[in-house]
Amino acid sequence: MIQYNKPLPVIQPWSKPFWDATRERRLLIQECRNCGKKIFYPKKYCPECRSTDIGWMESSGVGKVYSFSTLHLGVHPKFEDNAPYTIAIIELNEGVRLMSNIVNCNIQDIQCDMPVKVIFEDVTEEITLPKFEPGM
Amino acid sequence: MEKIAIIGTGQVPAERRTQRTLQSQAVDSAQQAISDAGIKKDEIDAVFLAHCFADQRFNSDLVFSLMVEELGLSNKAKFNVNIHSGGSSGENMLKMAEGLINSGTAETILCIHSEKFSLMSIPEQIEAFASFGISAEWESYTGMVYNTIAGLMAERFMYETGTTPEQIASVCVSLRKWAQMNENALYRKPLTVEEVLNSRMIATPLHMYECNVLCDGSSSFVVTSAERAKKKAEKPVYLLSHASTVTHYSLAQSLDITGFAYAKAGKEAFETVGIELKDIDLASIRACYPHDALIVLEGIGLCERGKAGAFVESGETQPGGSLPLGTDGGALSRGHTGSGVGIDQIVETYVQLSGKAGERQIENCSFAVLSGLGGTYMDSHVMIFGREVP
Repeated sequence: MIQYNKPLPVIQPWSKPFWDATRERRLLIQECRNCGKKIFYPKKYCPECRSTDIGWMESSGVGKVYSFSTLHLGVHPKFEDNAPYTIAIIELNEGVRLMSNIVNCNIQDIQCDMPVKVIFEDVTEEITLPKFEPGM
Repeated sequence: MEKIAIIGTGQVPAERRTQRTLQSQAVDSAQQAISDAGIKKDEIDAVFLAHCFADQRFNSDLVFSLMVEELGLSNKAKFNVNIHSGGSSGENMLKMAEGLINSGTAETILCIHSEKFSLMSIPEQIEAFASFGISAEWESYTGMVYNTIAGLMAERFMYETGTTPEQIASVCVSLRKWAQMNENALYRKPLTVEEVLNSRMIATPLHMYECNVLCDGSSSFVVTSAERAKKKAEKPVYLLSHASTVTHYSLAQSLDITGFAYAKAGKEAFETVGIELKDIDLASIRACYPHDALIVLEGIGLCERGKAGAFVESGETQPGGSLPLGTDGGALSRGHTGSGVGIDQIVETYVQLSGKAGERQIENCSFAVLSGLGGTYMDSHVMIFGREVP
């Protein structure tokens, strides 16, 4: 694998299962066993009830684009070779949101509320990043 | 709670690559504020400093009382403290000042900011701001930068409200018209909607002229109790009410990136103040990007949802319009000084309400609403100021 010099996730102890799962091409979110809240980004304590009884559930990996922006200029210095590239807030069908990239499509075709599904990009031996492409 | 008042302000011109040092800018704007207030320096018993991003050594100097010594306040000031919430530092300084003045902990507080972004290269600025309010675990891997935050907001705002690119660009044009009358502003050449929309695409849907430029500058203000202000100051400007809510850390976790908490903060701020939206003479609304102003105008109810774009496009926020907005030119034309962006706005609000705005003075300016935010729009602040207490 070629040297990957872009920022890698700085992983918190409680989110390690998420990053273990992306290597296996599964997208996990949390669910509080006490109050039922769906939680993402992962937390140690439930943001609603402060319970630590939090379980993992597999997301469908399907959702829609809440919003997006394609960077043409003033790009992150470590991503110059990617430009133009699209960053989007994805709302998963489970109701939680995450920031990600939209790939494998013409950037002119991206729209708010467009259906997207997760794909996985292995960037190092340890890290696999979730990204999204059009589809349902 | 007794009200507090701003009694003096200072500001040096915004510049792209200043010859001034951080320390000299800070000394100049702080001394201007003291002189403008017409008080003896020894009446200042506390000093608040906003954060400097470009030079951590200077930031430490601020934290460790450089300004107390520079301004001759040694053995007079009770405390010297850094108040940092990024772009909302100015708003939070006023909140802290109100509490401390009301409790008797402090009487008269000098608030100072100084920044020199030209010490950083453009790629350094981009990379630094790509880490402010952007999660190292969940977001940095996407390659997002600060302009991405604004692009995401603008795209969704246009989608939900039908606001057009021309309407968004018209905010830049309106701010530029005000900046033409402000000798402290960075950009003062006339600007048209066509020029904005023909400028290079940066972060869709935002073009070059729709993205603020980080600059060098310093601004300061002096705040004291309303009672003391009435005795001491010729033209005090009162903080009549304020409200704010912190909505998120990461933009992806904000429930509504086209509204944030401006509706709630606006409602709370106007609830107790004794004036109504129609009484507002000056909209001192944060617009680091043009659509920010539209989101706030609609959020606090100065315009109906989806109507702010047409309102600005029709010229109502320009000189001579019914609701002057960002009369110093705002972050887009006056220049963005980082943590000082809100302090610059507070300075302009004071300058207008105290009748010291010169060529750009709004006639009969009695009441102003100010909005602000820090981080990646993490907090929605609404403050109401008046040259009198209604």
